[in-house]
Amino acid sequence: MEIKQSSSPTSFIDSTVVPGDVVLDLSSMTNQTIKLGGGLRQDCDAISAMKAGTLRFSKPNKYWIESSQKRYVPCVEDTVLGIVVDSKADNFLIDIKGPALAFLPVLAFEGGTRRNIPKFEVGTLLYLRVVKANFGMNPELSCTDASGKAAEFGPLKDGYMFETSTGLSRKLLSSPTCPVLEALGKKLSFEIAVGLNGRVWVNAASPDTIVVAANAIMNSESLSTAQQIIMVEHLLKNIQ
Amino acid sequence: MEVDREDGRSQNQLRPLACSRNILHRAHGSASWSQGDTKVLAAVYGPKAGTKKNENLRKACIEVIWKPKTGQIGKLEKEYEMILKRTLQSICILTVNPNTTTSVIIQVVNDDGALLPSAINAACMALVDAGIPMRHLAVSICCCVARDGLVYIGPNQARRGSLPNSVHSVLPEGSLSVQGEPIENGIITSVTHGRMSVDDYFYCLERGRAASTKLSDFVRRNLQQQSTDSSKAG
Repeated sequence: MEIKQSSSPTSFIDSTVVPGDVVLDLSSMTNQTIKLGGGLRQDCDAISAMKAGTLRFSKPNKYWIESSQKRYVPCVEDTVLGIVVDSKADNFLIDIKGPALAFLPVLAFEGGTRRNIPKFEVGTLLYLRVVKANFGMNPELSCTDASGKAAEFGPLKDGYMFETSTGLSRKLLSSPTCPVLEALGKKLSFEIAVGLNGRVWVNAASPDTIVVAANAIMNSESLSTAQQIIMVEHLLKNIQ
Repeated sequence: MEVDREDGRSQNQLRPLACSRNILHRAHGSASWSQGDTKVLAAVYGPKAGTKKNENLRKACIEVIWKPKTGQIGKLEKEYEMILKRTLQSICILTVNPNTTTSVIIQVVNDDGALLPSAINAACMALVDAGIPMRHLAVSICCCVARDGLVYIGPNQARRGSLPNSVHSVLPEGSLSVQGEPIENGIITSVTHGRMSVDDYFYCLERGRAASTKLSDFVRRNLQQQSTDSSKAG
Protein backbone atom coordinates (compact mmCIF):
# COMPACT_ATOMS: atom_id res chain seq x y z
CA MET A 1 0.00 0.00 0.00
CA GLU A 2 1.37 3.43 -0.92
CA ILE A 3 2.06 5.68 2.01
CA LYS A 4 1.78 9.28 0.91
CA GLN A 5 3.45 10.85 3.92
CA SER A 6 7.20 10.64 3.77
CA SER A 7 7.47 9.81 7.48
CA SER A 8 5.95 6.73 9.04
CA PRO A 9 2.53 6.96 10.70
CA THR A 10 3.99 6.44 14.16
CA SER A 11 5.32 9.98 14.00
CA PHE A 12 1.77 11.12 14.75
CA ILE A 13 2.28 10.14 18.39
CA ASP A 14 2.09 13.20 20.65
CA SER A 15 1.12 15.44 17.75
CA THR A 16 -2.24 16.85 16.76
CA VAL A 17 -4.40 14.76 14.50
CA VAL A 18 -7.48 15.75 12.60
CA PRO A 19 -10.54 13.55 11.84
CA GLY A 20 -9.70 11.30 8.93
CA ASP A 21 -5.96 11.05 9.55
CA VAL A 22 -4.74 7.48 9.33
CA VAL A 23 -2.57 7.03 12.38
CA LEU A 24 -1.69 3.36 12.07
CA ASP A 25 -1.37 1.06 9.15
CA LEU A 26 -2.14 -2.44 10.31
CA SER A 27 -0.88 -4.17 7.20
CA SER A 28 2.67 -3.27 8.19
CA MET A 29 2.35 -4.60 11.73
CA THR A 30 1.87 -8.32 12.05
CA ASN A 31 1.14 -10.49 15.05
CA GLN A 32 0.51 -7.66 17.44
CA THR A 33 -2.49 -6.95 19.61
CA ILE A 34 -3.30 -3.28 19.73
CA LYS A 35 -5.73 -1.66 22.13
CA LEU A 36 -7.60 1.34 20.81
CA GLY A 37 -8.91 3.95 23.19
CA GLY A 38 -11.27 6.85 22.60
CA GLY A 39 -11.34 8.73 19.35
CA LEU A 40 -9.91 6.01 17.12
CA ARG A 41 -11.71 3.65 14.82
CA GLN A 42 -10.72 0.75 12.66
CA ASP A 43 -11.43 0.79 8.96
CA CYS A 44 -10.23 -2.55 7.53
CA ASP A 45 -6.46 -2.18 7.71
CA ALA A 46 -6.19 1.42 8.73
CA ILE A 47 -6.75 2.98 12.13
CA SER A 48 -8.06 6.49 11.64
CA ALA A 49 -8.90 9.34 13.96
CA MET A 50 -12.51 10.33 14.62
CA LYS A 51 -11.79 13.40 16.71
CA ALA A 52 -9.26 16.19 16.63
CA GLY A 53 -6.75 15.97 19.42
CA THR A 54 -3.33 14.67 20.41
CA LEU A 55 -2.50 11.05 19.69
CA ARG A 56 -1.05 9.31 22.74
CA PHE A 57 0.66 5.98 23.06
CA SER A 58 1.36 4.00 26.18
CA LYS A 59 3.48 0.86 26.18
CA PRO A 60 3.02 -1.83 25.24
CA ASN A 61 0.16 -1.34 22.84
CA LYS A 62 -2.40 1.29 23.81
CA TYR A 63 -3.30 4.16 21.48
CA TRP A 64 -5.83 6.87 22.16
CA ILE A 65 -6.70 10.44 21.25
CA GLU A 66 -6.61 12.98 24.03
CA SER A 67 -9.01 15.85 23.56
CA SER A 68 -11.07 18.13 25.71
CA GLN A 69 -14.77 18.49 25.06
CA LYS A 70 -17.81 19.86 26.81
CA ARG A 71 -19.73 16.57 26.47
CA TYR A 72 -18.74 13.32 28.08
CA VAL A 73 -18.24 9.83 26.64
CA PRO A 74 -19.13 7.33 29.40
CA CYS A 75 -16.38 4.87 30.36
CA VAL A 76 -16.44 2.12 32.97
CA GLU A 77 -14.93 2.92 36.38
CA ASP A 78 -15.10 6.70 35.85
CA THR A 79 -16.34 8.82 38.74
CA VAL A 80 -18.89 11.38 37.62
CA LEU A 81 -21.25 13.97 39.02
CA GLY A 82 -24.80 13.34 37.93
CA ILE A 83 -28.07 15.22 38.34
CA VAL A 84 -31.30 13.33 38.98
CA VAL A 85 -33.79 13.91 36.17
CA ASP A 86 -36.50 11.39 37.01
CA SER A 87 -37.12 8.35 39.17
CA LYS A 88 -38.72 5.11 38.10
CA ALA A 89 -39.60 1.94 40.01
CA ASP A 90 -36.21 0.31 39.56
CA ASN A 91 -33.87 3.12 38.58
CA PHE A 92 -33.18 6.76 38.95
CA LEU A 93 -32.60 8.53 35.61
CA ILE A 94 -29.45 10.61 35.85
CA ASP A 95 -28.02 13.17 33.47
CA ILE A 96 -24.24 12.82 33.15
CA LYS A 97 -23.70 15.06 30.12
CA GLY A 98 -23.41 12.06 27.83
CA PRO A 99 -25.32 11.06 24.72
CA ALA A 100 -27.90 9.13 26.78
CA LEU A 101 -29.38 9.34 30.23
CA ALA A 102 -27.83 6.97 32.75
CA PHE A 103 -29.59 4.59 35.11
CA LEU A 104 -28.85 4.37 38.82
CA PRO A 105 -30.44 1.20 40.24
CA VAL A 106 -32.47 1.92 43.33
CA LEU A 107 -30.57 -0.77 45.28
CA ALA A 108 -27.06 0.35 44.31
CA PHE A 109 -26.29 1.83 47.75
CA GLU A 110 -24.45 0.46 50.71
CA GLY A 111 -26.93 -1.64 52.65
CA GLY A 112 -29.61 -0.89 50.09
CA THR A 113 -32.78 -2.98 50.30
CA ARG A 114 -36.32 -2.54 49.03
CA ARG A 115 -37.27 -1.08 52.39
CA ASN A 116 -34.78 1.79 52.55
CA ILE A 117 -34.77 3.20 49.04
CA PRO A 118 -33.41 6.76 49.17
CA LYS A 119 -35.70 9.52 47.99
CA PHE A 120 -33.89 11.86 45.64
CA GLU A 121 -35.73 14.88 44.33
CA VAL A 122 -35.34 15.96 40.73
CA GLY A 123 -32.21 18.12 40.61
CA THR A 124 -30.22 16.35 43.32
CA LEU A 125 -26.48 16.27 42.66
CA LEU A 126 -24.85 12.88 43.17
CA TYR A 127 -21.26 11.64 43.11
CA LEU A 128 -21.35 8.32 41.26
CA ARG A 129 -19.29 5.61 39.66
CA VAL A 130 -19.94 4.29 36.15
CA VAL A 131 -20.47 0.53 36.25
CA LYS A 132 -21.49 -0.28 32.70
CA ALA A 133 -21.04 1.74 29.54
CA ASN A 134 -21.92 -0.43 26.58
CA PHE A 135 -22.57 0.66 23.05
CA GLY A 136 -26.19 1.48 22.34
CA MET A 137 -27.35 1.04 25.94
CA ASN A 138 -27.87 3.59 28.66
CA PRO A 139 -24.89 3.66 31.04
CA GLU A 140 -25.39 2.20 34.49
CA LEU A 141 -24.15 3.89 37.63
CA SER A 142 -23.67 3.00 41.26
CA CYS A 143 -23.30 4.75 44.60
CA THR A 144 -20.88 2.17 45.96
CA ASP A 145 -17.33 1.25 45.09
CA ALA A 146 -16.41 -2.13 43.65
CA SER A 147 -16.53 -3.85 47.03
CA GLY A 148 -19.96 -2.51 47.99
CA LYS A 149 -18.93 0.21 50.45
CA ALA A 150 -20.27 3.74 50.25
CA ALA A 151 -16.81 5.39 49.99
CA GLU A 152 -17.92 9.04 49.61
CA PHE A 153 -20.38 8.27 46.79
CA GLY A 154 -23.91 9.62 47.09
CA PRO A 155 -25.64 12.99 47.31
CA LEU A 156 -23.58 16.17 47.71
CA LYS A 157 -25.18 18.68 50.02
CA ASP A 158 -24.72 22.47 49.94
CA GLY A 159 -21.82 23.84 48.00
CA TYR A 160 -21.75 25.02 44.40
CA MET A 161 -21.52 22.99 41.18
CA PHE A 162 -20.18 24.37 37.93
CA GLU A 163 -19.42 22.87 34.54
CA THR A 164 -16.03 22.65 32.90
CA SER A 165 -14.55 20.75 30.01
CA THR A 166 -13.47 17.13 30.36
CA GLY A 167 -9.82 18.15 29.85
CA LEU A 168 -9.88 20.45 32.87
CA SER A 169 -11.51 17.72 35.00
CA ARG A 170 -8.72 15.34 34.11
CA LYS A 171 -6.10 17.97 34.97
CA LEU A 172 -7.73 18.57 38.35
CA LEU A 173 -7.61 14.86 39.12
CA SER A 174 -4.06 14.29 37.94
CA SER A 175 -1.28 13.44 40.35
CA PRO A 176 0.89 15.26 41.40
CA THR A 177 -1.74 17.75 42.48
CA CYS A 178 -2.80 20.34 39.95
CA PRO A 179 -1.01 23.70 40.62
CA VAL A 180 -4.21 25.71 41.04
CA LEU A 181 -5.58 23.33 43.70
CA GLU A 182 -2.28 23.32 45.52
CA ALA A 183 -2.04 27.09 45.52
CA LEU A 184 -5.63 27.44 46.75
CA GLY A 185 -5.14 24.77 49.38
CA LYS A 186 -2.26 26.66 50.97
CA LYS A 187 -4.49 29.57 51.92
CA LEU A 188 -8.09 28.35 51.88
CA SER A 189 -9.88 25.37 53.30
CA PHE A 190 -12.52 23.86 51.04
CA GLU A 191 -13.72 20.51 49.80
CA ILE A 192 -14.08 19.59 46.18
CA ALA A 193 -15.57 16.79 44.10
CA VAL A 194 -14.50 16.47 40.47
CA GLY A 195 -16.52 14.48 37.96
CA LEU A 196 -14.75 13.25 34.87
CA ASN A 197 -17.81 14.30 32.92
CA GLY A 198 -16.94 17.98 33.23
CA ARG A 199 -18.68 18.90 36.48
CA VAL A 200 -16.97 20.21 39.61
CA TRP A 201 -18.53 20.76 43.04
CA VAL A 202 -16.95 23.02 45.65
CA ASN A 203 -17.98 23.48 49.26
CA ALA A 204 -16.49 25.61 52.02
CA ALA A 205 -17.49 27.29 55.26
CA SER A 206 -18.13 30.73 53.74
CA PRO A 207 -19.59 31.71 50.35
CA ASP A 208 -16.57 33.96 49.61
CA THR A 209 -14.25 31.00 49.72
CA ILE A 210 -16.52 28.98 47.46
CA VAL A 211 -16.67 31.78 44.87
CA VAL A 212 -12.90 32.36 44.89
CA ALA A 213 -12.16 28.65 44.55
CA ALA A 214 -14.68 28.24 41.71
CA ASN A 215 -13.37 31.25 39.81
CA ALA A 216 -9.78 30.15 40.22
CA ILE A 217 -10.56 26.70 38.84
CA MET A 218 -12.58 28.05 35.92
CA ASN A 219 -9.81 30.48 34.96
CA SER A 220 -7.04 27.92 35.16
CA GLU A 221 -7.87 25.96 32.03
CA SER A 222 -5.53 27.55 29.55
CA LEU A 223 -2.83 28.78 31.91
CA SER A 224 0.58 27.29 32.54
CA THR A 225 1.73 26.34 36.04
CA ALA A 226 3.40 29.65 36.77
CA GLN A 227 0.45 31.62 35.40
CA GLN A 228 -1.97 29.60 37.51
CA ILE A 229 -0.05 30.39 40.69
CA ILE A 230 0.05 34.09 39.83
CA MET A 231 -3.68 34.10 39.05
CA VAL A 232 -4.52 32.44 42.37
CA GLU A 233 -2.37 34.93 44.31
CA HIS A 234 -4.10 37.78 42.54
CA LEU A 235 -7.55 36.43 43.45
CA LEU A 236 -6.62 35.76 47.05
CA LYS A 237 -5.14 39.24 47.46
CA ASN A 238 -8.50 40.74 46.51
CA ILE A 239 -10.46 39.02 49.25
CA GLN A 240 -8.07 39.66 52.07
CA MET B 1 -3.61 35.46 -17.62
CA GLU B 2 -4.05 38.03 -14.89
CA VAL B 3 -7.52 39.48 -14.74
CA ASP B 4 -8.22 42.12 -12.14
CA ARG B 5 -11.30 41.72 -10.02
CA GLU B 6 -12.74 44.65 -8.09
CA ASP B 7 -10.66 43.94 -5.04
CA GLY B 8 -7.51 43.23 -6.99
CA ARG B 9 -7.50 39.45 -6.60
CA SER B 10 -6.32 37.11 -9.31
CA GLN B 11 -8.61 34.47 -10.77
CA ASN B 12 -7.77 31.72 -8.33
CA GLN B 13 -7.14 33.74 -5.25
CA LEU B 14 -9.39 33.32 -2.24
CA ARG B 15 -10.40 36.11 0.06
CA PRO B 16 -8.64 36.26 3.45
CA LEU B 17 -9.83 33.42 5.68
CA ALA B 18 -10.36 33.59 9.41
CA CYS B 19 -11.65 30.91 11.73
CA SER B 20 -12.00 30.67 15.47
CA ARG B 21 -13.38 27.82 17.53
CA ASN B 22 -14.92 27.56 20.99
CA ILE B 23 -16.27 31.09 20.98
CA LEU B 24 -19.71 30.45 22.48
CA HIS B 25 -19.86 29.64 26.16
CA ARG B 26 -23.01 27.54 26.28
CA ALA B 27 -22.79 25.65 23.00
CA HIS B 28 -21.04 22.30 23.08
CA GLY B 29 -19.05 23.25 20.00
CA SER B 30 -18.87 26.49 18.10
CA ALA B 31 -16.91 28.08 15.29
CA SER B 32 -16.96 31.27 13.30
CA TRP B 33 -15.74 31.31 9.72
CA SER B 34 -15.16 34.35 7.59
CA GLN B 35 -14.08 34.67 3.99
CA GLY B 36 -13.48 38.33 3.30
CA ASP B 37 -16.63 40.08 4.49
CA THR B 38 -18.84 37.01 4.61
CA LYS B 39 -19.07 35.76 8.18
CA VAL B 40 -20.98 32.78 9.54
CA LEU B 41 -21.29 31.50 13.10
CA ALA B 42 -22.04 27.82 13.74
CA ALA B 43 -23.04 26.26 17.06
CA VAL B 44 -23.36 22.54 17.78
CA TYR B 45 -25.39 21.04 20.62
CA GLY B 46 -25.21 17.36 21.30
CA PRO B 47 -25.30 14.48 21.08
CA LYS B 48 -28.50 14.50 23.11
CA ALA B 49 -30.76 11.54 23.75
CA GLY B 50 -33.71 10.94 21.48
CA THR B 51 -34.34 11.32 17.77
CA LYS B 52 -37.16 12.90 15.85
CA LYS B 53 -39.99 10.87 14.38
CA ASN B 54 -39.32 8.94 11.18
CA GLU B 55 -35.62 8.87 11.80
CA ASN B 56 -33.54 5.74 11.87
CA LEU B 57 -33.13 4.64 15.49
CA ARG B 58 -29.86 2.89 14.76
CA LYS B 59 -28.14 6.07 13.69
CA ALA B 60 -27.52 9.49 15.10
CA CYS B 61 -29.68 12.23 13.66
CA ILE B 62 -28.28 15.60 12.62
CA GLU B 63 -30.64 18.55 12.54
CA VAL B 64 -29.67 21.86 11.01
CA ILE B 65 -31.26 25.22 11.77
CA TRP B 66 -30.35 28.13 9.51
CA LYS B 67 -30.88 31.60 10.85
CA PRO B 68 -30.63 34.37 8.26
CA LYS B 69 -29.27 37.77 9.11
CA THR B 70 -32.62 39.49 8.63
CA GLY B 71 -36.10 38.50 7.60
CA GLN B 72 -38.30 35.48 7.97
CA ILE B 73 -37.25 31.93 7.38
CA GLY B 74 -38.34 30.91 3.91
CA LYS B 75 -37.72 28.37 1.20
CA LEU B 76 -34.12 29.41 0.62
CA GLU B 77 -33.23 28.82 4.25
CA LYS B 78 -34.95 25.44 4.21
CA GLU B 79 -32.99 24.50 1.13
CA TYR B 80 -29.72 25.48 2.78
CA GLU B 81 -30.69 23.43 5.82
CA MET B 82 -31.32 20.39 3.67
CA ILE B 83 -28.06 20.73 1.76
CA LEU B 84 -26.10 21.17 4.96
CA LYS B 85 -27.83 18.23 6.62
CA ARG B 86 -26.99 15.89 3.75
CA THR B 87 -23.39 17.06 3.64
CA LEU B 88 -22.87 16.70 7.37
CA GLN B 89 -24.54 13.30 7.41
CA SER B 90 -22.02 12.01 4.93
CA ILE B 91 -19.00 13.14 6.94
CA CYS B 92 -20.14 12.24 10.45
CA ILE B 93 -19.99 8.68 11.67
CA LEU B 94 -23.62 8.18 12.56
CA THR B 95 -23.39 4.71 14.08
CA VAL B 96 -21.26 5.69 17.08
CA ASN B 97 -24.11 7.24 19.07
CA PRO B 98 -27.37 5.64 17.93
CA ASN B 99 -30.66 7.24 18.88
CA THR B 100 -29.24 10.68 19.55
CA THR B 101 -29.73 14.09 17.98
CA THR B 102 -27.02 16.60 17.23
CA SER B 103 -28.25 20.10 16.45
CA VAL B 104 -26.25 22.44 14.27
CA ILE B 105 -27.34 26.06 14.26
CA ILE B 106 -25.98 28.38 11.60
CA GLN B 107 -26.28 32.11 12.11
CA VAL B 108 -25.46 34.37 9.19
CA VAL B 109 -23.60 37.38 10.49
CA ASN B 110 -22.80 38.96 7.15
CA ASP B 111 -23.42 37.84 3.59
CA ASP B 112 -21.03 38.97 0.88
CA GLY B 113 -21.15 36.02 -1.49
CA ALA B 114 -20.00 32.42 -0.89
CA LEU B 115 -22.48 32.06 1.97
CA LEU B 116 -23.19 28.34 1.68
CA PRO B 117 -19.52 27.33 1.49
CA SER B 118 -18.72 29.47 4.53
CA ALA B 119 -21.59 27.84 6.38
CA ILE B 120 -20.38 24.34 5.50
CA ASN B 121 -16.86 25.21 6.63
CA ALA B 122 -18.11 26.77 9.86
CA ALA B 123 -20.38 23.79 10.60
CA CYS B 124 -17.53 21.35 10.02
CA MET B 125 -15.20 23.23 12.37
CA ALA B 126 -17.93 23.46 15.00
CA LEU B 127 -18.50 19.70 14.81
CA VAL B 128 -14.77 19.13 15.32
CA ASP B 129 -14.86 21.50 18.28
CA ALA B 130 -17.74 19.56 19.83
CA GLY B 131 -15.96 16.25 19.43
CA ILE B 132 -18.61 14.65 17.24
CA PRO B 133 -17.03 11.55 15.63
CA MET B 134 -16.28 12.29 11.99
CA ARG B 135 -15.00 10.28 9.10
CA HIS B 136 -13.25 13.18 7.36
CA LEU B 137 -13.20 16.92 7.32
CA ALA B 138 -14.90 18.77 4.53
CA VAL B 139 -14.02 22.10 2.98
CA SER B 140 -16.19 24.00 0.62
CA ILE B 141 -15.56 26.41 -2.24
CA CYS B 142 -17.67 28.58 -4.45
CA CYS B 143 -16.76 29.38 -8.00
CA CYS B 144 -18.54 31.19 -10.75
CA VAL B 145 -18.39 31.29 -14.51
CA ALA B 146 -18.22 34.76 -15.97
CA ARG B 147 -19.82 35.82 -19.19
CA ASP B 148 -16.49 35.78 -20.95
CA GLY B 149 -15.95 32.15 -20.02
CA LEU B 150 -13.47 32.66 -17.21
CA VAL B 151 -13.84 30.91 -13.89
CA TYR B 152 -13.43 32.82 -10.63
CA ILE B 153 -12.97 31.29 -7.23
CA GLY B 154 -14.68 32.73 -4.20
CA PRO B 155 -16.81 35.48 -5.70
CA ASN B 156 -18.23 38.21 -3.56
CA GLN B 157 -21.85 39.27 -3.61
CA ALA B 158 -21.61 41.94 -6.27
CA ARG B 159 -20.26 39.56 -8.83
CA ARG B 160 -22.21 36.51 -7.80
CA GLY B 161 -25.59 38.09 -8.28
CA SER B 162 -25.46 38.01 -12.03
CA LEU B 163 -23.53 34.90 -12.90
CA PRO B 164 -24.07 31.16 -12.88
CA ASN B 165 -22.06 29.61 -10.09
CA SER B 166 -21.58 26.35 -8.32
CA VAL B 167 -20.69 25.37 -4.78
CA HIS B 168 -18.65 22.29 -4.08
CA SER B 169 -17.79 20.46 -0.88
CA VAL B 170 -14.60 18.56 -1.10
CA LEU B 171 -12.84 16.17 1.24
CA PRO B 172 -9.39 17.33 2.18
CA GLU B 173 -6.17 15.34 2.08
CA GLY B 174 -4.81 13.45 5.00
CA SER B 175 -6.72 10.26 4.40
CA LEU B 176 -4.64 7.40 3.08
CA SER B 177 -6.08 5.33 0.36
CA VAL B 178 -8.28 2.47 1.39
CA GLN B 179 -8.37 -0.50 -0.96
CA GLY B 180 -6.07 1.33 -3.26
CA GLU B 181 -8.53 4.03 -4.25
CA PRO B 182 -7.54 7.50 -3.20
CA ILE B 183 -10.36 9.11 -1.29
CA GLU B 184 -8.70 12.41 -0.82
CA ASN B 185 -10.26 15.32 -2.63
CA GLY B 186 -13.51 13.54 -3.31
CA ILE B 187 -16.59 15.62 -3.96
CA ILE B 188 -19.42 15.23 -1.47
CA THR B 189 -21.86 17.91 -2.49
CA SER B 190 -22.18 20.04 -5.55
CA VAL B 191 -24.81 22.74 -5.86
CA THR B 192 -25.21 24.83 -8.97
CA HIS B 193 -27.24 27.85 -9.91
CA GLY B 194 -27.82 29.12 -13.37
CA ARG B 195 -26.85 27.69 -16.70
CA MET B 196 -23.39 26.63 -17.79
CA SER B 197 -21.94 24.13 -20.20
CA VAL B 198 -20.80 20.71 -19.04
CA ASP B 199 -17.19 21.55 -19.87
CA ASP B 200 -17.37 24.71 -17.81
CA TYR B 201 -18.76 22.67 -14.92
CA PHE B 202 -15.91 20.19 -14.99
CA TYR B 203 -13.44 23.03 -15.32
CA CYS B 204 -14.99 24.59 -12.21
CA LEU B 205 -14.58 21.29 -10.40
CA GLU B 206 -10.90 21.15 -11.24
CA ARG B 207 -10.27 24.71 -10.14
CA GLY B 208 -12.28 24.11 -7.01
CA ARG B 209 -10.24 21.03 -6.12
CA ALA B 210 -7.01 22.94 -6.53
CA ALA B 211 -8.22 25.79 -4.34
CA SER B 212 -9.50 23.37 -1.73
CA THR B 213 -6.00 22.21 -0.90
CA LYS B 214 -5.24 25.72 0.32
CA LEU B 215 -8.39 25.67 2.42
CA SER B 216 -7.59 22.31 3.94
CA ASP B 217 -4.07 23.48 4.83
CA PHE B 218 -5.59 26.45 6.57
CA VAL B 219 -8.02 24.24 8.49
CA ARG B 220 -5.28 21.87 9.57
CA ARG B 221 -3.02 24.70 10.76
CA ASN B 222 -5.91 26.23 12.63
CA LEU B 223 -6.69 22.96 14.43
CA GLN B 224 -3.07 22.42 15.36
CA GLN B 225 -2.67 25.92 16.67
CA GLN B 226 -5.81 25.96 18.73
CA SER B 227 -5.32 22.54 20.20
CA THR B 228 -2.71 23.90 22.58
CA ASP B 229 -4.66 27.00 23.43
CA SER B 230 -8.08 26.20 24.79
CA SER B 231 -9.22 29.44 26.34
CA LYS B 232 -12.94 30.15 26.47
CA ALA B 233 -14.53 33.47 25.70
CA GLY B 234 -16.34 34.94 28.68
